[in-house]
Amino acid sequence: MNEVKENMAYKPQYGPGTSKVAENRRKQMNPNQKLEKMRDVTDEDIVLILGHRAPGAAYPTAHPPLAEQQEPDCPIRKIVTPTEGAKAGDRVRYIQFADSMFFAPSQPYQRTYTECYRFRGIDPGTLSGRQIVECRERDLEKYSKELVETELLDPARTGIRGATVHGHSLRLAENGMMFDMLQRSVLGEDGIVRYVKNQIGEPLDRAVAIGKPLDEKWLKAHTTIFHSLGSTAYRDDAEYIEYVQRIHTLRTKYGFLPKEA
Amino acid sequence: MTEAIYPQVRIVSTRFLRPDTVEQLLNRLVQVGGILRMSLTGQNLPVTVPYGPARGKPNLHPDRKVIRVGDQDVQLQVQVGNVILELEDESYIPAVEEAVDEVFASKDFSCTVQRGRFMKTQPTVSDYAKYGPDADKEILGLVDPRKKEGPIIIQGNK
Repeated sequence: MNEVKENMAYKPQYGPGTSKVAENRRKQMNPNQKLEKMRDVTDEDIVLILGHRAPGAAYPTAHPPLAEQQEPDCPIRKIVTPTEGAKAGDRVRYIQFADSMFFAPSQPYQRTYTECYRFRGIDPGTLSGRQIVECRERDLEKYSKELVETELLDPARTGIRGATVHGHSLRLAENGMMFDMLQRSVLGEDGIVRYVKNQIGEPLDRAVAIGKPLDEKWLKAHTTIFHSLGSTAYRDDAEYIEYVQRIHTLRTKYGFLPKEA
Repeated sequence: MTEAIYPQVRIVSTRFLRPDTVEQLLNRLVQVGGILRMSLTGQNLPVTVPYGPARGKPNLHPDRKVIRVGDQDVQLQVQVGNVILELEDESYIPAVEEAVDEVFASKDFSCTVQRGRFMKTQPTVSDYAKYGPDADKEILGLVDPRKKEGPIIIQGNK
């Protein structure tokens, strides 16, 4: 994992804002801050949900391990240590999340920032309703475990969805689950959410339990989404607005290529 | 197409409804009577996975169920979010509101009844281009008129 070095010339701020939402965002982004562990999911469960390989199967490779192939004489390759997956020549695979606008603990932009600060060798893709992160397969499984087990995920309002992600901006279902056309996760009678399909919608041999949905109070206290109904409104965080307006003004002015007099 | 003289209401809940709640609500509405047409709207629940790597595989969705309304079986094809009703006259609206309040009294979320015009009154040029001149005007604007299954007719109590 990445860590901010002690001897850096400046202290990273991670983001502006004085509100609780801004504070939650900074907390997720800061790699020195340990994310709260909310649930236990086994490695096999993660492999099942991802659906890229059968549990226990060897990792298919895209190229021979780095140790077995001739590396070109490149100064960058000498500086950067390859990740475990890159070293072994794993394929690049993905995990994708959809986060409900009803106070999910994270959201696409936030996820991308968080992952970039915390993980190495990743390629995140940010969209309005979903966020995908691609990396080498064994790194992916390690990172996915962290993304699923910690406070970045709520079993009801976060969906692990490789395809057919629609649902983040819709009303919740009666039982509090986010709408999913393929109903990959089901809330059981015992209040535990189980994945019955993998992220692309293929039925699993066994259901994967990922715990109970978090309560409304916890979600509102830990959300990273500004929401004028029921949570902090964006306009109430003056510092955030000031920062965004400053960036907007500067980049607009830069479009005219101003020259210093 | 709807006649402009008939009043319409839309029942909107703050959550998507479970099939058993829909069944309960519709049966209560049927008791009220005076309903000419009814349309259930919401997110589509397809029979097979429509796209992605699992395209074409069966999509077993627990909310795609057959419910019993009045004397008819109704296959739900959507996760019901709104119910649109066309009524005989305005005198039925208070009874519809009462029925909705009754059904949602035990729920921890609210449901409102809105008055307005929610069904199409006139075919558009796009409708003409898509469905041709002979499209069934009774259901145009509510569902795809090319669908093989017609509307479900629930016998009234008159």
